Amino acid sequence: MTLSLIMLALLITGALAWRAERYWQGSAKWLALMSLALLAITFAGFVINYAISHNNDFAQLQVLSRINWIKTFNIQYSIALDQLSIVLIALTWLLAIICVLVSWREIKRHVGFYYFNLLLTIAGIIGVFVAVDMFLFFFFWEVMLLPMTAIIAIWGHEKRYFAALKFFIFTQVSSLLMLVAIIATGYFHLLQTGQLSFYYLDWLLLDIPLEISQYLMLGFFIAFAVKLPSVPVHSWLPDAHTQAPTAGSVLLAGVLLKTGAYGLIRFVIFLFPQASVQFAPIAATLAVVSIVYGAKMAFAQQDFKRLVAYSSISHMGFVMLALFAFNSMAYQGAIVTMVAHGLSSAALFAMAGMIYQRIHSRDLADMGGFWQSAPRMGGFALAFAGAAFGLPGLANFIGEFLSLVGVFQVMPEFAIIAALGLIGSAIYGMVLFQASFQGAPKREIIDLQSRELIICGSLLLMLLAIGLYPMLLLKFSFGV
Amino acid sequence: MMSIASNSQPLLTMTMASAILPQLIIAFGITLALLLVAWKRSQRTIALFTFLTLFIALLANVSLQAMPATQVTQLLKVDGYSTFAFSLILISALVALRMSHSFLKAHVEVHDEYYLLLLLLVLGAGVLVASDHFASLFLGFELLSISLVGLVGYHRESNYSVESAFKYLVLSATASSFMLLGIAFIYSVTGDLSFNATIPTAIYHQQGLGLFFQLGLLLFVSGIAFKLSIAPFHFWTPDVYQGAPTPITMLMATISKVAMFVVLLKCIIAQRYLLLENFQLFLTSFAVISMLLGNVMALQQQNLKRLLAYSSIAHMGYLLIVIIVTSAQSLAFTWQSALFYLAAYTVANLSIFIIIALIQQQNTSSLYQEDISLTDLQGLFWRAPSYALLMILGLLSLAGIPLTMGFIGKFYILSQATIAHAWWLIATLIIGSAIGLAYYLPMIFKIFADTPSDTLCDTQKMNGKVKALGGDIIEQVLVYSFITFGLVFGVLPEVINQLIAS
Repeated sequence: MTLSLIMLALLITGALAWRAERYWQGSAKWLALMSLALLAITFAGFVINYAISHNNDFAQLQVLSRINWIKTFNIQYSIALDQLSIVLIALTWLLAIICVLVSWREIKRHVGFYYFNLLLTIAGIIGVFVAVDMFLFFFFWEVMLLPMTAIIAIWGHEKRYFAALKFFIFTQVSSLLMLVAIIATGYFHLLQTGQLSFYYLDWLLLDIPLEISQYLMLGFFIAFAVKLPSVPVHSWLPDAHTQAPTAGSVLLAGVLLKTGAYGLIRFVIFLFPQASVQFAPIAATLAVVSIVYGAKMAFAQQDFKRLVAYSSISHMGFVMLALFAFNSMAYQGAIVTMVAHGLSSAALFAMAGMIYQRIHSRDLADMGGFWQSAPRMGGFALAFAGAAFGLPGLANFIGEFLSLVGVFQVMPEFAIIAALGLIGSAIYGMVLFQASFQGAPKREIIDLQSRELIICGSLLLMLLAIGLYPMLLLKFSFGV
Repeated sequence: MMSIASNSQPLLTMTMASAILPQLIIAFGITLALLLVAWKRSQRTIALFTFLTLFIALLANVSLQAMPATQVTQLLKVDGYSTFAFSLILISALVALRMSHSFLKAHVEVHDEYYLLLLLLVLGAGVLVASDHFASLFLGFELLSISLVGLVGYHRESNYSVESAFKYLVLSATASSFMLLGIAFIYSVTGDLSFNATIPTAIYHQQGLGLFFQLGLLLFVSGIAFKLSIAPFHFWTPDVYQGAPTPITMLMATISKVAMFVVLLKCIIAQRYLLLENFQLFLTSFAVISMLLGNVMALQQQNLKRLLAYSSIAHMGYLLIVIIVTSAQSLAFTWQSALFYLAAYTVANLSIFIIIALIQQQNTSSLYQEDISLTDLQGLFWRAPSYALLMILGLLSLAGIPLTMGFIGKFYILSQATIAHAWWLIATLIIGSAIGLAYYLPMIFKIFADTPSDTLCDTQKMNGKVKALGGDIIEQVLVYSFITFGLVFGVLPEVINQLIAS
């Protein structure tokens, strides 16, 4: 109940912020910030309270509410939490607040409506992480898509319509495939038990023969592979990231890509274990290709945001590779990588946004020598670039290390090629940093201000915390 | 064959009369309206009278919803499905009536004929949805077409009126004659015009007169496909959509589609035509061509009404899937899917056309409506948020995105196709929707786009007009209530499911 109220509250404060901006300029961002902080605390309080009062560590899915919604299809409004979703929701809250902070000065047009869309996206994302009725999941999956597309299309850069359209069509087509798979599984349940059901926990009990389940699995896999994104369905990502406003990129890279990984874990691997094992070689190949291709493309880019976008493809490749290794160490590595990538790519996109605000360009050729005038910014940029290429001591290192070790035990040849991606990441990380902060100073820029210091500082702190004390995340089993 | 007269039962009992009460009210209303015209020619009176007639018929119809299926003579059969469809038709007619108001007001003449034709159109549709016999089908079909021809060409002085009305008249007459010939062929084989006629099974196995029967069937279906604007019988659609006055386009997109589809489904289910493999093949190819062609052709359109015409072709293609994959075990589900999709389609089209009509009212400086192109939508969201919201909801519903009824409709179709393992149709539907997004979304982006600065003064003028229009309470209420309907039924579709199932 509390969770539903939190999502509702996001929607209502979004609408309020939209209205309020008309009467008091500047009120929308404060309203959004306050409500996000408050709701995040409420969420934390709720989880802790539930854990204590039920003496439960959320290792298994805890169903929180289940209400009839569409009786004709036996669809329920049912939501549940477990460790995986809690971690991802926590990441969402953090990045949501970062998003409001990075948009603080950037958004000048239609401010109220912007925050409405932002909060709606966040409500949708949280919905995706908690829904355990497949219809409801699909519903939220699309609900988060709409305002995100609006954010790209209204507040984006010069080629925003094309990027938004591409983003939407890729996601929508693949999710229609998923919808067909959802319906087919629901009716398979009808055939097997005499009851139509879209309830996740019912589906877990299904015994689907391999020749059917491989097709069903494929429907889900394609939808999540697009979102992840994996080669060959990645091409929406560089465009969407480049054209989106900073907060859009942060949210997209930080959380939206994670919904793809989350879907792979929860709905592909757990629902269709046999089919996934059978499919693993193909998935792992795609993952390795993504890793190497993403890294290769990244250091060929001249656009700051495009570079980071391609690096995301490479990093998410690690997640997919680790997931399809079916090894508990790799699995944990995948989850740490998800969180770490969420933080580090969000940080890099925020950095791109800060530079863009100062020089109005994303082109690396226009940058250079910023260290002279903005050493604090340079320090943070170096740290985040370091995080991106897996510097020990930062969270990404733990994730990628665990993933590679886990994968090596199962599929050594894949692990070896994937490790090449790490070299690539070191190259593009350095290209990024050198082109922007080193070399002859091209122009003077203002150093970080206190709001920006908070953004960078908190992200770096989180990266360091997980990097130095990975047990923060590793102490959870995440359902394995 | 038993003639009607030798029937020992009375021709029309009270139950029968009450079952077709809404249709009777409309028919009675038409007669009264004629008398009213003779007595006092006043735009206001006749508009009010038409409204009352439609509204009372709607009330009577809603009260019938719970009634068991009733056979009314051989010709008509009223059941829950036809009642639901008729409610949709009456609601559309009410909305169209309101939207016609302002454009008719622009003329000095009194437009009694317009309202009469509107009522006749509704009567035709009412006969169609309830018909259980080829004779009543043809009667309804002709009532509907002829009054539509009159309405399409109603604006005598408009540039397009002669062209589009004439096009519609000629093609519509051709289609009716095809259909009539088809019915004659079918009759020559079966010897019975009732939908419930027992067809010798030999025909299904293509023995004896099977081929003749199939030819008749093809002619019959092509007549109906013409009205539904299913490819390859769609050529009139864009021109007539563009040329007709907006409220009439609205009627064509809703009433005519709903009535025709319901009667087609009824006929096909009752006569089990789908047992014929050739027939199924024909329908499948119609559906596939419509889905692809409609969506592809819509991509390049700059004129909003033409675009919607092509998108309607695609949507009828989606709907045909429901008919194709139906089987004897899933009849109730077929009806539910079809009616839900039609309801979603009607609400979406009404929403969009309300906004188009409202924009036209603001833009138009002359007496006649101009064409409306995509650029007219530019920045609508910042000028008139409630209008834009309704438009966006309608477009999203057509595109089948969650939060709207269109999505649930698509969910129904996909469910049905999945049960029937019609994977190729599903694939076409997915491709079609993907292409569809490529024109629905840019429209939505246009709505959100900033108005270019050089037309800033123009915008301010618009703002003034929007505010001035804000005074019209009925239109405001209409817009807001459709926003609410769209959202509520999109999130809680169970309400409508229960209505259809009852």
